[in-house]
Amino acid sequence: MRQFFPVEDLARDDRFVQTNMAERMSDTRSAVDLQRTAKSRGASNRLTPDRHDASDAARSLMHGIMVGEIQALEGAGRTAHDFDAGDGSEGTIPFELKLDMARQAWDEARHVEISVKLSDWMGTEIGQFQENTVLFEAACSNDPVLRLAGVNRALEGLAIDVFTQMKEFGQLADDPFLEFCEDWMLADEVTHVKMGSDWLRRVTENDPDRRAKALDFQRVVDKLFSFGGARGESEESPIGLARRFRELAGFTDDEVDTIAGMDHDALEERKEVVRLARETADV
Amino acid sequence: MTTHVTVMPEQFTLVAYDANRIAAIVRDLASLLGLSNPMAVEVDERTPLSKMSAVVAGTSSDHTITLRLQSGALEDTKHLTNFSEAHARRSLGQVMLRAKDRLRPDFADAPDDLALTNAQNTAWDVYCGGRLDRLGLDPIQQGYRYDFRNRFGFSDEVDCVFDQLWSADDLGWHDLPTVP
Repeated sequence: MRQFFPVEDLARDDRFVQTNMAERMSDTRSAVDLQRTAKSRGASNRLTPDRHDASDAARSLMHGIMVGEIQALEGAGRTAHDFDAGDGSEGTIPFELKLDMARQAWDEARHVEISVKLSDWMGTEIGQFQENTVLFEAACSNDPVLRLAGVNRALEGLAIDVFTQMKEFGQLADDPFLEFCEDWMLADEVTHVKMGSDWLRRVTENDPDRRAKALDFQRVVDKLFSFGGARGESEESPIGLARRFRELAGFTDDEVDTIAGMDHDALEERKEVVRLARETADV
Repeated sequence: MTTHVTVMPEQFTLVAYDANRIAAIVRDLASLLGLSNPMAVEVDERTPLSKMSAVVAGTSSDHTITLRLQSGALEDTKHLTNFSEAHARRSLGQVMLRAKDRLRPDFADAPDDLALTNAQNTAWDVYCGGRLDRLGLDPIQQGYRYDFRNRFGFSDEVDCVFDQLWSADDLGWHDLPTVP
């Protein structure tokens, strides 16, 4: 069986259309309201049921969750298979880490099924929205430790934020299925992040350079996921930062503060890009 | 008779939309819906959101109907910033049905589109959605049902009201359900 699978070769049927962060960033439109007023939609962008476009936004996010789960399944499966069992050095991973990745793949497969059913319940068709492949790209590193940092800590960390937001959405809307399903998936995501944090620490115990490199990579991925301030502590961000669950997953307060800072900077950068684009286009 | 349609902006810079194509769809839908009023379409290409509203200047067939749409309402969600004919037909059909309703005396009490509550907005959308379905524009009924449940509650009784609304063709403003 083939090892180290490039993102271009992911198997999808013709319902799916894939995109990447470069394409996403080239869209200079923005939902950010540059002249915020108390009555404007931009006064709070948080994804809650009282937003006029709540259902549309929730459907789009649910589709993003579904394709993210497919890629997380593919990423965990690849990590279990791509590296031989060993002591963690020279392209090997401990056998117990393989077992954890296999367990994660099983969880993600279940999440895909749950997300497909939730999408159906909410009125979304599979492939209705484009699929951003950034998640799988983070799982393509030749160093398994970078995968743990990029996928288990950054990507699954984002999943904690997203599931917390969707769980709250279901709770406020009194949706009998959404809150329940999100809560179960959230519990799994906390476990996946914790697994990543623990293995990263163990595998790099005697290799501080490798650990530093992995944490640098995590910051790069986190910055990508902060794109446009889509996630953050500001009410202008649709998705909040789930501090409590991140703490349970092994993030330190300093790490969460760093992510919050990146989210804030990303939001301000995006506003500046939008402002400049509007001036240039004179619209 | 061909409906007079203007589209602003005439040239799009942030999205790959064609004003002539939008005007052609509006003319086609106007014919389908039996609307002969002049139409002014204003598209806000600065935002990817998809809010829509219709303003009628009066209730005669001479009065201009202004349709305002954010760019997301016309977008191909598989290829962002690109135009989707099917999505545009559904969105424009929906907002034009609302405008047509507003020409009726029994919609005289309806607040302006931007002043509607979320529940009023959703109920009217569902009433339009059912009619779009019968016109062959293929709206996703389950999406409308989920919106309706979000506003009115997740219960069998609410689903019954949804079904009645979806199958209705001749309602007035006061026939639309309100939040209990």
